[in-house]
Amino acid sequence: MAERLRRARGSGVVLTCWLVGSVLLAFIVVPLLGLAAVQPVRNLVRVAAMPDVRLAIWLSLLAAFLTAGCAAILGVPLAYVLARGTFGGRDVVAAIVDLPLAVPHTVAGIALLIVLGRQGPIGGPIGEVLGLRFWGTLAGVVAGMLFVSAPYAVNAAQIGFEAVDPRLEKVARTLGMGPWGVLLHVTLPLAWPGIMTGLTLTYARAISEFAAVAILAYYPMTAPVKIYEMFLQFGLEDASAMALLMLLVTLALFILFRGLARRRARFAGAGR
Amino acid sequence: MTTAALVIEAACLTLGPFSLRNLDLTLAAGEILVLLGPNGAGKSVCLEMIAGFHRPQSGRILIRGRDVTDLPPEQRRVGLVFQNFGLFPHLTVARNVAFGLRTRRLGHARAERAVVDLLRQFGIAHLAGRSPQHLSPGEKQRVALARALAARPDLFLFDEPFSALDARTREVLRDELKAFLREAGVPAVFVSHDQTDAALLADRVAVIDHGALRQVGTVASVFRKPANYFVAAFIGVENILAGRLLPRLGAMSRIRVADAVLHAAGADDAAGDVLLSIPAEEIGLRPIDGLDALGLCSSTNRIAGRVSEVRSMGALVRVTVDCGFALVACFTPREARALGLSPGQAVVAEVEADAIHILRDQVNCR
Repeated sequence: MAERLRRARGSGVVLTCWLVGSVLLAFIVVPLLGLAAVQPVRNLVRVAAMPDVRLAIWLSLLAAFLTAGCAAILGVPLAYVLARGTFGGRDVVAAIVDLPLAVPHTVAGIALLIVLGRQGPIGGPIGEVLGLRFWGTLAGVVAGMLFVSAPYAVNAAQIGFEAVDPRLEKVARTLGMGPWGVLLHVTLPLAWPGIMTGLTLTYARAISEFAAVAILAYYPMTAPVKIYEMFLQFGLEDASAMALLMLLVTLALFILFRGLARRRARFAGAGR
Repeated sequence: MTTAALVIEAACLTLGPFSLRNLDLTLAAGEILVLLGPNGAGKSVCLEMIAGFHRPQSGRILIRGRDVTDLPPEQRRVGLVFQNFGLFPHLTVARNVAFGLRTRRLGHARAERAVVDLLRQFGIAHLAGRSPQHLSPGEKQRVALARALAARPDLFLFDEPFSALDARTREVLRDELKAFLREAGVPAVFVSHDQTDAALLADRVAVIDHGALRQVGTVASVFRKPANYFVAAFIGVENILAGRLLPRLGAMSRIRVADAVLHAAGADDAAGDVLLSIPAEEIGLRPIDGLDALGLCSSTNRIAGRVSEVRSMGALVRVTVDCGFALVACFTPREARALGLSPGQAVVAEVEADAIHILRDQVNCR
């Protein structure tokens, strides 16, 4: 493998791919650098000192974390079923999982509002029984984030599960372990890199969500909503300062997650 | 009488388009059975049925007298070894072996000691902290065996563990496995499509095709006296000849093949068209000298023919003789040189009557 890579590195194919790929890289990096370049540090510090800005960023981080947690609890089992199940309608289920990727997020927000709102068919009973309300609450923020980001968790975890050799699970069974034990001690550790990738993507997607969250839970304001509000109220200068702040926090977290996932992957011996 | 290690009674299992039909199989204590068959014959399904991953729709499975038909795999006490040995890549060698101890519910200290003992017994103590991914096939096999043995299985099941290995490694590991099974005394079912595995490992061989057993017997009986055309062809008998039974002569069956009449040991009162199997290594050749009496001479068949092809196969030389029908013989290069065979040469082919075996199935199944 390494040998092949070494040989390929010198070839024109790789060089061409690098050239073309760097256009996309530049397309991602340049606007973000631009955002940073126009920003006086003084401005950044001033905005960072605003309590409501910090609160919004905190809320975004917390809500995205809770979203990733919900996606893990609810999405990983679904991913397992999709990876292992041979049930009819498997393709339909897979399509449903991917559906949020194709729905405009304003539509997602409105749909969630109808169902989860105080008079909604789900929001009503949940509010009465559990006292949990979605409109204008943290729960609402998480609901909006989960709807748009769950597909990433399910898809990546499914790929993780599919990479686990079923024969290893069979061996574990013959060694005296029941199906739940096998899931816990063999399947999950081996699928871990895929699951972690999925949760990282979910977290990233959740933290960036604006439309669905803004419709279902404008307040308490998450960072993207707050940035939008600052833009409307105080103009580009303050909004872009907060935008940069948000960007730096997210970037730092993302690098941290990737590093964790890679270390865990090496530990789990993903290179089967 | 000791309890049989494994009894499969009239097991039927349908899995989609595939089905095992009325499978009966018994394994004596300490016996190694090689389940031999081509790809898709149902070998692995059969093995997984024994292990408990498929429940037969009818019939019973007993392991050491215990009816396990309705038990899940974790309660059957079988040790399963797959191709590439199926070690857990996320655990060290020691943790892999310890995995097999879980069910025995030893205390922590005793379990640790048991792992160390097992690692020592298999000569892999120095690998304890290693990840299985970078082990050699031989080391992997030992870890897999140690792990399986840790759970104290009543029966070992092997699903083509050697099929991804080169010939040389395969030979070494086969010897090692055989020595281990002899010493451990644990009976085993070994699935393979390689006749060499069967010849070298098995006490008995079961040949399976399309979900049905085609012959079960000792290595010698299956290889020398294949029961039917499928078995003969699968184990690689070079000469499968179509002939017609003639009235028998004393204790000998007589079969007409083309213009020759061959004599086979064992009287057969059946009549009509039959198939004969004659292993190539049972055929001798010598130059014709004019004084030869052809036909049957003291239980040896002598047939005149001409060498039509001499082909070197490396360790063996394959000689085809045209006797009115093609007859293939095999020699070592040294024997072939001594005979000085060349195409066109007139020769006498000699076959003992008890090397000719009449196949018990219809000619038209060919």
